[in-house]
Amino acid sequence: MSLTASLPQDLETLADSLSASADELHQRIMRGIRQQQRLEGSHIKGGPAPLTQGAAQALFENEVALRQQANSLYADAASHSLEGMGTTLPELLRLSDQARVAIRHIERVKELAGISADLLAVAAAIAAARPEHLVAPLESLKKQLAARQTQESA
Amino acid sequence: MKRYLCILSCLLLAACAGNPRLQEVRALADDAPKLAGFNDLSQRYRDTYLREQPYLSAAAAQREEAIDRKRHEAYPDFIALHTAATTYLRALGALAGGDTYNFGDQTKHMAESIKAWPDTGLTDRHIDAYSRLVRLLMRAATSREQDKAVQAMLREGYEPLQGTLDAMHTLLRFFNKNHDNEQRIVLGMLEVEIPYADAPRDRLLAALARSHQQEKLKEYRLLGLRHTLAAQNIDAIRDRHAALYRGLDPLPGAAPDGANANGAVSAAGDAPPTIPTAKGAQP
Repeated sequence: MSLTASLPQDLETLADSLSASADELHQRIMRGIRQQQRLEGSHIKGGPAPLTQGAAQALFENEVALRQQANSLYADAASHSLEGMGTTLPELLRLSDQARVAIRHIERVKELAGISADLLAVAAAIAAARPEHLVAPLESLKKQLAARQTQESA
Repeated sequence: MKRYLCILSCLLLAACAGNPRLQEVRALADDAPKLAGFNDLSQRYRDTYLREQPYLSAAAAQREEAIDRKRHEAYPDFIALHTAATTYLRALGALAGGDTYNFGDQTKHMAESIKAWPDTGLTDRHIDAYSRLVRLLMRAATSREQDKAVQAMLREGYEPLQGTLDAMHTLLRFFNKNHDNEQRIVLGMLEVEIPYADAPRDRLLAALARSHQQEKLKEYRLLGLRHTLAAQNIDAIRDRHAALYRGLDPLPGAAPDGANANGAVSAAGDAPPTIPTAKGAQP
């Protein structure tokens, strides 16, 4: 299926998926904040990593950006902005779903920031219709998700 | 002579009041203001940035400006959809009520057509529906034979109005999803920041923030309900209009046998012909 096949429904689906990733990220941020409150700095192994205010703000900034990209796609929902993109929507959808699940299970703040930032870069490339900006974050996102999977199965 | 005219108009009025189709049409037209919810929500959609701004970081505000431009550019087109649908319904109601209704100015204004379609998520079908509705209104302005005119307007207006209402319904879905993300940006910012305002010197700040959070929660919940209601109103008008269309008399020559006529019409109503996309084929 090509990117231009059944727009704007596909764009809407992609925007829905980005919104869902942002929801997941928000849940994760709030769990980190609650952990921080409970522990007052002393870290218990196994639970979600606690978040300092600075870290929470930085992650929330990613969440806001994901939502903005989703809203931008809703505002477009138009085919011409995606013509000539060098990848397919189904793959993007699959990846962003995978990222959403990963965000739910991530314990380490650094990974969380990495995956959400990559997802964001992918979303920005799509919203701006800049396929040349898509390749690098897409590869990085794939690599991070693959690394997580091997880590989980090990 | 005068007396004959009087009797004639009394008869006309009686026929008018007695014809269930005309009553139905007038009732439908009376409900046209229910589409106004779409206008309010279009406006709210357009002004998303204004409401979000206090909660955004500098970088996020900069990103939002580009989206804000898109929303503002598309707004007149949203309103044009609503104007077309309500003008059609009002004209229909006026025909059924026997009033003279001057909608010449409005159609002229509407004919100044819609520009930014590719950016609004609307399909060719919606655009075509809109332009056909405008053409139909122009023609109806010169036609006065009541039931015949009403039927013709219902028949020809079926697809255009359904298409226009579909477009409004689709847009409302986008507005609602945009609204959800706005809500989560605003409430999320408060939710993330409030837990860190727990030092004793921040008590006042935390109290004000929580009170503000409660107000915002209420505002967004109400707005969510308004989106649902607006969509329901559009659906209801679409369904009633479709029912009127299915109840039309058969076209002369289409079904000479009275027993088969109803079946033929309702079959046609169940499977309306698709709108031709080739613009050259239309007058």
